[in-house]
Amino acid sequence: MGDSILDMYLYETNTLLEQLDGILLAAEQADTFSEDSVNEIFRIMHTIKGSSAMMEFNSLMTVGHRIEDLFFIVREKGMDVVPEQTKPELFDMLFQAVDFFRGEIEKVENDQPLSQSIDHIVDKINSLIDKIQGTAAGTAAPAEAAPQPQEEAPAAGVSTVDENYPFGVHVFFDEGSGMENLRAFMLITGVKDYCGDFVCFPDNVETDPSTSDVIADQGFLIWFRTAEDRDSVIPAVKNAGSVREYQPVDAPKPAKEAPAPEAPKADAAPAPKADASPVQAPKADAAPKAAPAQQQHAKESLISVNLAKLDQLLAVVSEIVITESMVTSSPDLKGLRLDNFTKSARDLRKLTDDLQDVSMSLRMVPVSGTFQKMNRIVRDMSKKLGKRAKLTLIGEDTEVDKTIVDAIGDPIMHIVRNSMDHGLEEREADRIAAGKDPVGEVTLSARHTGSEVIIEIKDDGQGVDTQAVLNKAIRQGLAIPDHEYSQKEILNFLMMPGFSTNTEVTEYSGRGVGMDVVKKNVADVGGTVSISSEWGKGMTTTLKIPLTMAIMDGMEVSVGESVFTIPINSIQSSLKVTAEEVIHDPAQGEMVKIRDNFYPIIRAKELFCMDQGCDDIEEGILMWVEAGERSYCLFVDELLGEQQIVVKPLPNYINSFGVKNYGINGCSILGDGSISIILDVVNVYTAAHSAY
Amino acid sequence: MQQTEEVLFAREQEDDYTDQPAELQTDKYLIFSSDGLMYGIKADLVKDIITDYAITYLPQVPGYVRGVINLRGQIIPMVDIRLRLGKMPQENFCGIVVDVDGNMVGILVDMVEKMVDVPQRSILPVPTKNGQAMVSGMCTLPDGDTMLELDCDQLLHD
Repeated sequence: MGDSILDMYLYETNTLLEQLDGILLAAEQADTFSEDSVNEIFRIMHTIKGSSAMMEFNSLMTVGHRIEDLFFIVREKGMDVVPEQTKPELFDMLFQAVDFFRGEIEKVENDQPLSQSIDHIVDKINSLIDKIQGTAAGTAAPAEAAPQPQEEAPAAGVSTVDENYPFGVHVFFDEGSGMENLRAFMLITGVKDYCGDFVCFPDNVETDPSTSDVIADQGFLIWFRTAEDRDSVIPAVKNAGSVREYQPVDAPKPAKEAPAPEAPKADAAPAPKADASPVQAPKADAAPKAAPAQQQHAKESLISVNLAKLDQLLAVVSEIVITESMVTSSPDLKGLRLDNFTKSARDLRKLTDDLQDVSMSLRMVPVSGTFQKMNRIVRDMSKKLGKRAKLTLIGEDTEVDKTIVDAIGDPIMHIVRNSMDHGLEEREADRIAAGKDPVGEVTLSARHTGSEVIIEIKDDGQGVDTQAVLNKAIRQGLAIPDHEYSQKEILNFLMMPGFSTNTEVTEYSGRGVGMDVVKKNVADVGGTVSISSEWGKGMTTTLKIPLTMAIMDGMEVSVGESVFTIPINSIQSSLKVTAEEVIHDPAQGEMVKIRDNFYPIIRAKELFCMDQGCDDIEEGILMWVEAGERSYCLFVDELLGEQQIVVKPLPNYINSFGVKNYGINGCSILGDGSISIILDVVNVYTAAHSAY
Repeated sequence: MQQTEEVLFAREQEDDYTDQPAELQTDKYLIFSSDGLMYGIKADLVKDIITDYAITYLPQVPGYVRGVINLRGQIIPMVDIRLRLGKMPQENFCGIVVDVDGNMVGILVDMVEKMVDVPQRSILPVPTKNGQAMVSGMCTLPDGDTMLELDCDQLLHD
């Protein structure tokens, strides 16, 4: 079994489970299953069952099979068959099953043995099936057929068969044996030795390889004129290779007179419907067939690619961008008039831009997947904790880099849990007393600002009791008693390692590994976490994560001989000012008034302690920049021009000196091979203000 | 007769012992000079010797980090060994790029001298603890000079 098959299986199953989760949540909200979702669940279970059987993951297969059975009944009879009082049980069971599948898949991923004890789940499903069938008991026999839904298909075949050959043998080959049509053909050859007079279904096995799927799915049928003939070939069938199972079956014609009970096993059980079967059976058949077709379509428009390959692609594209600008701005071309070259170079530039945009977008995925998972957490916790709550998602379509999506999943989950557990009030009465909707609300939102993604997790609960937090911080030795702390500082204690306000450890939170882990995870992708809260009104946690911009548009500016790059998207404008326009404050700070607002001036030369560069404010130029909540003017010598640059991280050795705190974020190699330093607008401001 | 043979045999063995290990256990060192002293770096660590480069000044780093250079698309910090050792600066052009635990760092030196094979055993520990900093060992070269083995780890981390 190749790893690629296993990978495919894991990928497919995980996708299906996610889909299933979504359907279940929607269905639970509506308190019923729509016909579509029943079909969809049926199809998902069928696929999981099938692929798990192929991979020999028996526990998965069994559970999948039973749920498929259950939904077969529901599909046949409609949602009404489920009694009102069993509905919650049904939903719970399904969620449990999803968790079970997830757990097992995780075990497969980690190469652990699968759990053998699936009885409790299977029992649950069985009892549900019984209950549902209890209501369906009035319609009698069909219930019996339900547990073996696959067998119904051959029954459909039965009716199409020649009436003169009423005695059949229904043969199933080993699952996954392959080339079923040829096996069937060999079986026919074997049978011919005993009795020559028969028909079979499908009948063109030798010539039509596509029949192998039908046989694998529905089995192979051979029909004889008499029961004696049939009995005589049984040894041949028995001895044929790869035969998993065979059953004598009788055509529906006799069944018409003597219905279900007489029929061997379940095959003829759908007999009460037998009359209608030419009409009904194809219909039942059509659903699963149409569904795979749809699925196929989805598969064709989506492929999964190894992330490493994308990174490689991006690296190559980056190099192309550099090389392109090296070629087009080559010093050899200086002073030459090359009309054709310039035109072609422009075309090339446009194409590389497109190439770059496309390759960048490859890594971008919407956050909806991560957000949707929170639905489940809110649902589970609201059940467990007995708090009613709803989750509102805003900006699910926001696209962020795949690495960011992976990194924020756990932090968001943790914060949502925190909100559910500690944020929302223990009792609804408290909420009503506070004039709030008794149903708590957790809001997840994502949005882009030019250079970062902002994710907010907001609840309308009781908020943070800052006094309690402070007391706890003092007890933990994190805070100094009698010291005045600002609200913000107190909230920051929440993110200190080992701090957890909850004295009790609950299932969901309060293990003391809390917000500090969140902070660390977010910091790993270069982001920051901030908490704001108002007592009685709720709490908002904000994650700010820089977009991974391997390539960006930057403005090159010079200070002395050094070249700096300012990200284009944080530049508001550039302006020349006269010495009179500069306003001084008592602390030697400089300010300038732009459109009715005052903005501080930061001199790059002074901040970076450089020898060269302009001192005269009238000689240089002010770059008005804005990022986050910071807006100020950076004073530099000269504007060199806009350029697309590839961000290169600084060597670790350089980073060890903490240059990032001074707004030195990375560097890039310019077309002529020289290096420019990329500035981070926010950190430049912070550095300037801690220095002054 | 037999005795002499044994003696001969023994001598041969003895020769083997003295020859072989000496050949096996020499290390190649690149010798460079800085402020009149000869330093050696294990040749395995040396990735490149560069003379033609433009250093880009980097703010907010210690003075001995002169800046970064672009070495075939790689950004490499340059450390001036004179400044690192607290000596008077001097215009240096010769850079040795070394790989220290995956970090590529350029070291600015006065002059690159030569490559030598140094038997491992001949590298002796530094006699005094408060002697020349950044030196992990020393040895006498065949031509009579003394080589100080540069401790690259210490060069980067204090």
